[in-house]
Amino acid sequence: MSAAAAPAPAVAARGVEKWYGPLAAVRGIDFSLAPGEFVTVFGPNGAGKTTLLRILCGAVKPTRGAVTIGGEDVGESGAARRRIGLLSHQTFLYPGLSAAENLDFYARLYGLPRRGERVEAALVSVGLHDRRADRVRTFSRGMQQRLALARTLLHGPAVILLDEPYTGLDPHAAAMLRTVLERLKDGRRTVVLVTHNLSQGLEQADRVVVQVAGRWVSDEPRAAVDAASFERVYTDRVAAAV
Amino acid sequence: MTTLAAGPREPAIAAAEDVSVSSDGRAMDADETAGAPFLAQVWAVARKDLLLEVRSRERLMSMATFAVLVAVVFSFAVDPAVRARSIGGAMIWVTVLFAGTLGMGRSWALEREAEALTGVMLAPIDHGALFLGKWLANLAIVLAVEALVFPVFALFFNLGFQGSLTALAAVVVLATVGFMALGTLFGAIAAHTRLGETLLPILLLPLLAPVVIFACAATQRLLVGRPVADVVSQLKMLGAFDLVFLFVCTAVFGAVLEE
Amino acid sequence: METTTATPPAGYVHSGVGSSNDSLASTRTWAVGLGVLAGLAMLASLYMVFFYAPTEATMGIVQRIFYVHVPSAWTAFMAFGIVALCSAGYLWLRDPRLDAIAVSSAELGVVFTTIVLITGPLWGRIAWGAWWVWEPRLTLTLLLWFIYVGYFMLRGAAENPERGRRFAAILGVVGAIDIPLIHLSVQWWRSQHPKPVIMRPEGAQADPAIVQTLLVSLLAFTLLFFSLMLFRYGLERLQTRAHALRAAPR
Repeated sequence: MSAAAAPAPAVAARGVEKWYGPLAAVRGIDFSLAPGEFVTVFGPNGAGKTTLLRILCGAVKPTRGAVTIGGEDVGESGAARRRIGLLSHQTFLYPGLSAAENLDFYARLYGLPRRGERVEAALVSVGLHDRRADRVRTFSRGMQQRLALARTLLHGPAVILLDEPYTGLDPHAAAMLRTVLERLKDGRRTVVLVTHNLSQGLEQADRVVVQVAGRWVSDEPRAAVDAASFERVYTDRVAAAV
Repeated sequence: MTTLAAGPREPAIAAAEDVSVSSDGRAMDADETAGAPFLAQVWAVARKDLLLEVRSRERLMSMATFAVLVAVVFSFAVDPAVRARSIGGAMIWVTVLFAGTLGMGRSWALEREAEALTGVMLAPIDHGALFLGKWLANLAIVLAVEALVFPVFALFFNLGFQGSLTALAAVVVLATVGFMALGTLFGAIAAHTRLGETLLPILLLPLLAPVVIFACAATQRLLVGRPVADVVSQLKMLGAFDLVFLFVCTAVFGAVLEE
Repeated sequence: METTTATPPAGYVHSGVGSSNDSLASTRTWAVGLGVLAGLAMLASLYMVFFYAPTEATMGIVQRIFYVHVPSAWTAFMAFGIVALCSAGYLWLRDPRLDAIAVSSAELGVVFTTIVLITGPLWGRIAWGAWWVWEPRLTLTLLLWFIYVGYFMLRGAAENPERGRRFAAILGVVGAIDIPLIHLSVQWWRSQHPKPVIMRPEGAQADPAIVQTLLVSLLAFTLLFFSLMLFRYGLERLQTRAHALRAAPR
């Protein structure tokens, strides 16, 4: 069954909770995303947004509940994990290796065919081909994030999670990221964007969510949200839930 | 400075899909990949660690320097009346133990820079493959240090190895395999504690007692020229230790990485 | 939106009085009961040690330290066996109660191990004239002591308590698998030594009275261990609940 025609939702979370001892980071989140949906999650610090993303991509195991990607449990299925990419404000790159070597390592981990070709194409697409042999340690923050973006998309994931990706980016890199996000809305790829920045977050969203204290306190289609008054609405929602 | 590949220069801001589109226009989607087999993943991790080490040489340098300095200290410390030959095996393995433990913590510290370990965990990698990859790289690096330690001690203390060098190599390899199995596991654990690397010798040394006992005895016997038959039982015990702990450490490793 | 509150995982919730889930009242009852039995057994054992068991021919009165040394060693290793089993169980099931049993056993285990390491040299000084001799069982006990120390250091040093418990459990399992190998290697090591020193504090013949006294001492120490372990377990569970209540949202 091809991904585009799959009846299973692109991402589904059922009763997801994450407890660290007696403290909860995520206390019960349920949702499902259709393929091609673009969801933006807003929320204050400590709301558990990063934890949720880490659970969605399988890096963290939930205490209760399950996450499925394309119908398969992300904790158990390698195939499910291959369909996800995560871009965080941490780059997940090795500073001591070059740009090309970093991408080559990830290509090997994912078992990607035509490795050399893919790495080249990825470097070209983020404008780092001429720095391919330079160590990541010598890169600026913007260049590192561009490389991280290449790493995220290298294996062609159908679900892309972005955890505050604009953090610390110079205007050139930020503009590039915005363009990439626009291009990701191709109807095939599902995107979950976590951000503090209200205007950037609303730009491409199909669905707007506010997460506070480990729960989704609001979940509305973009059309129902008025951009001008959203900041006040958001602040109210956060205050009410705490 | 690398030059651009031939062909039209892509604009710096390009489409994201281009990342997964090959030169002949075919989409290279995740679904079409079968995923890396276990051994390929082990090799990918080992290769990456070795590449990092070859680049910076920081672990090799610090372990090797430490080992040579310990040899110097032993030279001062050991009374000239004592025949160094009778404690050669002991001095060498004490040195290897401490030098090896020294480098272990660094192996995992590398993964914590830029949270690279999270990136690795995102991939559909088997935890066992990650462990074995790290173990393999650590093994290669410590074997390289040992290849330096033995000649240095032979030089400083005028130790002429009279026994079979092949058997000696077998002792060294078998002992280091077990050492690295426990070292890689507890190195990962120590990296996630506040005490970090200082905790490592405290955890490792009691557990490595069998390795120390059999490796020292075998090395000493080979040093004085006893036949290989005399060290066979030690080689077997080292081998058993290795098998048991490679299995156990690989199995238990998943529990270390979980948040 | 939803009004239901999610609950912490099993073992972290205070179930309330009368609940069948992890009631500490029964723990306390058992602990006290076993404590009383242990006290009685200790009294019986003391009587037998000083009045019933014969004075050993070669070593004299000092030999009686054997009735403390051997049961302590038995208890120390049994404790570690419990630590290992509960650690394996904890890694598999993640039930904090298993971890509570493990840490309780470990704390008592290290105490009994220390007793072995003190009584051994005391006996050795009289019997052999040396405070410390690398006798195989004593050596193994020394290494066990260090593994226990590592267990507690791991628990305390981890970035969060949950991980600390998991790391300590891993050491418990790996240590338990290593102990037989250490035993074999130390035995082999001492057998290579020209004059192996073997600890026979029970003397050349196993007089039935000696064996009986030893068994009663063993029983007393085992009962004492379980009694104290249950008290400690209760304390650990109360601490966990207190922590949970303190952390719960108001």
